[in-house]
Amino acid sequence: MAERISNQSILTWFLQRISGLFLAFFLVTHLNVHHLFHDITTVGIINFALVQENLSSSAWWQVYYILFVPFVVFHALNGIWEIIADYRISSNLSKILKAIFWIFGLILIAAAILTLRNLFSGGGA
Amino acid sequence: MTSNGKLKQTFRDAVLNKNIGNFSYWLHRITGIGLSVYLIMHIYVLSSAISGPESFNSRMGSVQNPLFAVLEILLVAGIFLHMLNGLRITFSDFFSWSRSHKSIFWIIAILFVVLMVITLILQWPKFNPDNYGMGG
Repeated sequence: MAERISNQSILTWFLQRISGLFLAFFLVTHLNVHHLFHDITTVGIINFALVQENLSSSAWWQVYYILFVPFVVFHALNGIWEIIADYRISSNLSKILKAIFWIFGLILIAAAILTLRNLFSGGGA
Repeated sequence: MTSNGKLKQTFRDAVLNKNIGNFSYWLHRITGIGLSVYLIMHIYVLSSAISGPESFNSRMGSVQNPLFAVLEILLVAGIFLHMLNGLRITFSDFFSWSRSHKSIFWIIAILFVVLMVITLILQWPKFNPDNYGMGG
């Protein structure tokens, strides 16, 4: 039986590629600055003060992370969603899972933004 | 087909269809799930900053040692594999690269090895326990 591809699954497919292209740049930048080029022999292990110093080096980091966080959370959860959708679950289960994914995603983004706010402002919640 | 049947079929495909397309399909799924799990843990560990610098420093201290430096290599490998393969998929979808998708797979395999060699060189000092002293 031929099945019509829904507009929503095309949107899911399209947004996964767009956010993926975005991450190819943003994730590599983050990985370089905070993981790979973190030189433990000169600055020691990562702590609050070091991250704060890194982030305050340019005002652009705030813009960068406000964009990066929603994109990376979306790409991760939308990707898992694409895998689940591949296995033809019932439409009721699909609705429930979609709601859970949205709530979980928003919690992750909120936690990350609050974390960054503290790191940018220097603690003291 | 039931969802259980579809799952069985994908596993059977992985065993029977030993071709690059099937391999990269599994590679992409496994790295994608792994990276999603890492992302959640990453945000969880860093969110200790919400309670202030002390809790951030103590939690960050517990994940910085040679063992985690080795695990970080797995993370970086997962990122590079997923990124390079993802770009291959995206360009195949958008710019009709599908005809040469197999040769592109071998190009990204070489790129991956080069990136991992650079990663190992950069990561090398973190494998040494002596570098986790007081720092500075």
